[in-house]
Amino acid sequence: MISPVNNSKNSIYFSADSNNKEKKGLKYNHDTLLPNNPLTNTRIGLDKLTNAFTLYPAKGLKGSKNANFYEFLTMGTVPYLIGSATLMAVFNFANKYFAPFDKVQASKVGQKMALGVLFYGIMKSVSKQFISRPVNMLTGVDTDQPYAKVIYELPESVNDTDITSIEYHKVFESVEFPRWDLLYGDSTKGEKRNFRYDKIAKKLNMGENLNDSDQETKSRIKEIIIKSNFAKSISSYLWAATGVALAFQKPWEDYFKAMTFKFWKTEEFGQSMKILGKSFIRSAKDLYKGEGSGVAKHAGKILLGAAALSSVLGVINTVAGAKKAPKSKSDIIKPNEKHVVS
Amino acid sequence: MTSNLIQNYISNKPAAAYSQQRQNRSALQTPQKPKPDFDIQKELDNRTFIKPLEGKGRLLKNNIFNAPAIMVKDIIYDAKALKHAVSGKANDHELGKLNDFGLLLGGLGIAGYLFTRKQTPKTKGMEFIGLASFLASMAIWPKIAIQLPAYLIHGVNVQKEYEDSFGRKKPFYQDPQFLPWDLYTEEEINKMGDRMGVPKDIPNRREFIQEKMKKIGIQNNTLWMLTAGFATPIMSGLICNMAEPYLQKYLDNKNNKKADSILNNLAKYAETKYKDIGVEQDLIKLLDSNQNKPLTEELKESIISTITKYMDPVTADNFKADIKEQVFGKETYKLEDTKIQNILTNLKEVFQNKIPRVDAEFLQAAIPDEQSLINALKNEGLFGTDIKQIKFGKILDTIRNCIDKNVRTYNEAHPDKRQNLGYIRKLIMTNMTQERNSNHVSIVLSDTVSNVLDTPAINKLKTIVKLVDNFNRKVFALDEYALRKVGAAPETVIANYWNDTAKEFVKLLGFTDKEIAMTKNDRTLVGALLREKIENIVADTTAYNNLMEKLIKKIAEINAKINKKDLAAPLLTGNAENTAYTRKVDTIFDDFAAALREQNIGFVRTAQAIAGRDKNDTVGTAKNIQKAYVTERLLGVKSSFYRIINALDYFRRVATTINSSTVLQGRYTEHKEELIELCKIITLEGHSSDFATKFYMLRNPNPDRSQGNVEVKNGKVVNRYLGQTAELTDIPGDQHFYKDAMRLMFENEMSPDTLKLLEQLGLKDEVLKYRQIVLEHLGGEYYFAKPFHLLGEKTTMGSDTKFLITGNAIDELVHKTFQQRYNNKKWFKIFGGFGAGLLGVTILAQFFFGKMKTPERTGEKK
Repeated sequence: MISPVNNSKNSIYFSADSNNKEKKGLKYNHDTLLPNNPLTNTRIGLDKLTNAFTLYPAKGLKGSKNANFYEFLTMGTVPYLIGSATLMAVFNFANKYFAPFDKVQASKVGQKMALGVLFYGIMKSVSKQFISRPVNMLTGVDTDQPYAKVIYELPESVNDTDITSIEYHKVFESVEFPRWDLLYGDSTKGEKRNFRYDKIAKKLNMGENLNDSDQETKSRIKEIIIKSNFAKSISSYLWAATGVALAFQKPWEDYFKAMTFKFWKTEEFGQSMKILGKSFIRSAKDLYKGEGSGVAKHAGKILLGAAALSSVLGVINTVAGAKKAPKSKSDIIKPNEKHVVS
Repeated sequence: MTSNLIQNYISNKPAAAYSQQRQNRSALQTPQKPKPDFDIQKELDNRTFIKPLEGKGRLLKNNIFNAPAIMVKDIIYDAKALKHAVSGKANDHELGKLNDFGLLLGGLGIAGYLFTRKQTPKTKGMEFIGLASFLASMAIWPKIAIQLPAYLIHGVNVQKEYEDSFGRKKPFYQDPQFLPWDLYTEEEINKMGDRMGVPKDIPNRREFIQEKMKKIGIQNNTLWMLTAGFATPIMSGLICNMAEPYLQKYLDNKNNKKADSILNNLAKYAETKYKDIGVEQDLIKLLDSNQNKPLTEELKESIISTITKYMDPVTADNFKADIKEQVFGKETYKLEDTKIQNILTNLKEVFQNKIPRVDAEFLQAAIPDEQSLINALKNEGLFGTDIKQIKFGKILDTIRNCIDKNVRTYNEAHPDKRQNLGYIRKLIMTNMTQERNSNHVSIVLSDTVSNVLDTPAINKLKTIVKLVDNFNRKVFALDEYALRKVGAAPETVIANYWNDTAKEFVKLLGFTDKEIAMTKNDRTLVGALLREKIENIVADTTAYNNLMEKLIKKIAEINAKINKKDLAAPLLTGNAENTAYTRKVDTIFDDFAAALREQNIGFVRTAQAIAGRDKNDTVGTAKNIQKAYVTERLLGVKSSFYRIINALDYFRRVATTINSSTVLQGRYTEHKEELIELCKIITLEGHSSDFATKFYMLRNPNPDRSQGNVEVKNGKVVNRYLGQTAELTDIPGDQHFYKDAMRLMFENEMSPDTLKLLEQLGLKDEVLKYRQIVLEHLGGEYYFAKPFHLLGEKTTMGSDTKFLITGNAIDELVHKTFQQRYNNKKWFKIFGGFGAGLLGVTILAQFFFGKMKTPERTGEKK
């Protein structure tokens, strides 16, 4: 027989309740929906980044029994960032040892490669917004909605009293197990239970004041999530590739000559930034115009076109599918009418 | 001490309960066969009998034999995932797989774009190798640095995969909170436990082993995440470095074969590959749209520029002259009503702007009206008829006469407002003798051309353009052949050969990385080191023969890559005119020239620019340039490497038989020392300018008059006199010193060792010929400051060819090769070293993984 766990005699923080006298000081005491805004996203990003480089590796290397899939995935940032830096180093670090002419030639390629790595990361990240923003606007489904999840861990030892932690997830990160529960309104705050689902239903042209908007919309939301995730997967890499192509344009060489990160030398730094802007514009034009003949001339246009098309098609496929009423029960039974089942 | 109740329970869990659980699980794993009288309704009525469905999950056992089947299965799975995602029915696992697909697609996008930006096949190919190596590194690193060591150390495969009941392939240790242990049998777990040294007599052995495996899995997954960022780019770079020579070799062979194939099937290749370069269609379009229209200058220029699109400037100029004479004919112009008004308007404007105090009354009086000017022109036979450009002056005279008359009348009538007649005459005639179009009247005249693009001219142009297109296509094919073989560009056959041979030479001389690192930035240091190496090697017969055999074999590869029957350097082979390439050039250029000379075309100037007046008239013709480019490239490269052979041989002769040299006989010992030293410097470092200025050397003007042999030790001359005198000067009057130096280097018989190897490896004739032409043409070069420093007759060879036969200075060649090798080695040392260190640390770390306190043994508990 398992004896009941009794924390009254132990100093275990078995609750994340912030009202608890022996509180640990966690910001959330239960799974909490967070606003999807730059401030929150930055805070979450920094938290995850810090943990990815400190706490999670420490837990992982110890083989902690509490290590989990979330931590493993979050640690994916480590090879991503270190890999980017190493890739830059591979093309630049040895150049300083070369003879002057070789150094200049190698640096030209190396600097473009480093810029390419940077643009790859930026474009890959930013381009996801090209899907999620329009999808949110047109369907009301925020595919990137974050939430804080309170985790209760197993004690590492008999003296381990710190058993709570917070993970940052997205409501729709799993299409099989979305956190529907978090989208319900809090009646204690005067929110309608289905107010979020109502909004989505309205955007999806399913009508207003539905009796069960949550049940009506869930299948469509799921479809939106799947399609938008797929579109993000494909288009973000194509945009990333476009970023690399942009970095490989000749005008950047002007910027590399004037490049400085010494921001305290305002004049030089200002001039450097000015040239950065000009180089960006000229590079973008060169990417579009291309040089040479045949496919080579149009390669930039093709890549840019493919990336843009993947985003546009991704949004269309997601939104059109969601707005088109499926052949389901909801089409036969009018959701805002009463029906009697005999 | 406080204790955790859950842990207490787990550690003291009754064995009986556990045994019962295992029995239950065993029952689940081996479900009973359905009874023959199975009734679903009965089963449903009695719900207590309903059991969960049997799990279909299984551990995956990948090996080389089932890899293709797994790959196919994965592709099918991905294709289904794609279909599901598009229709909005995919699951998490499928979406994850599609992320990998996106990664590949993006990678291909990058490689594809950069492919188009690169110029040569190797650099293009490396873009895809870069992508493939990066993706491979992502997959290989966890296998070799994580999975393999972990398996060898602990006996646990931490990258084990399993397939769940829905056919989804997942890493076993992906989620430590959900490990499907039931997929491992008792036997497998115990076997791994034994391998990990887990005692057999501990309670709950399976759970303990599983905990240990889980711990190892978590630790290795973390290690993987921490190391992959460093490892993947570095491994990728190393793979690219290793793959590059193989790719280059493959592409070099392919390129060479392609070039040979072009030459063998030139006409067919030209027709198919360069089908689209024809200008016939463009010309026909131009001619059709201008049929029977005046042949204005613009139209003529359009026609000429269309046809001469691919011609060199000299041929194009001749073509332009021919076409004007043979097709466009002499230009004639026709003045008509509309033009007269234009002339008068222009004149009015000039008068208004240029004549001081001009008023409307004067303009009215001075400028003739339209009809009177027409009449005047008619009287002179200049109106309405075809006139030649040469008569433009006469038209101006007529206009001037009219105005003269008017101005005189005006001046008589208005003595107070007289205008300067002389000035007005000048205004009318201004610029007439210069540019035709800059005169206000000529501007109008030039637009009155009466020649038209008639049908005979069009037909002739159509015939010509067909000939030109056919010729251009073949020349393009010849150019492609030449470029692939000997072009002054990266990755041509000769460029690859040059790089390989230079690398091999440096390798054979045995320079160490340290020597290269210390001298790479200074040609003088490289030269000194090179000389030291050569002197040491030539002193040892075995070492010398070994070096020369390998080097000559490498240098001789040029004749295998570029067959002398196809392409040859005329000066080195003698029979250069009779190669496949020159024969093709002769045929193509001569045929084209002959066709242009045909009576119905008559483009004699162009024909002459293409192929000369006859077979002996070759200088400056396009045909000769087509031949000269390839032969000169070949001559330059061959001379550079034959120079190395000659230099090494000279050093060998110094080391062995120098005192028996006929050149040195009868000279003072100090002179001998000076000569030997000079020749050593010239063979290694001399440029064509050194040969041209007859070797400037600071010598002792009052040498010691002792005679005797020079002392040679370990390949070096032990100088008794050289360098002992402070006052040194060049002695321009000593022509014999120069001649002896040349003879010592290029005339004295080569050492028997060298000759034997050259004979064996088939280079003897060419190397001897090389020495002969250097002696003859560089020795025969006239230098005004040292007019008697001549060997034989004064040479007529051009400076370009003399530069080519001098070849690359050996110390410079080695210097450049040093820098390339240093760059590669430095990169490899930094990142290869880092990669090796990372691998070592990653493996070492795994010895500390999986440490757990073993529970008390069953026996010990008592």
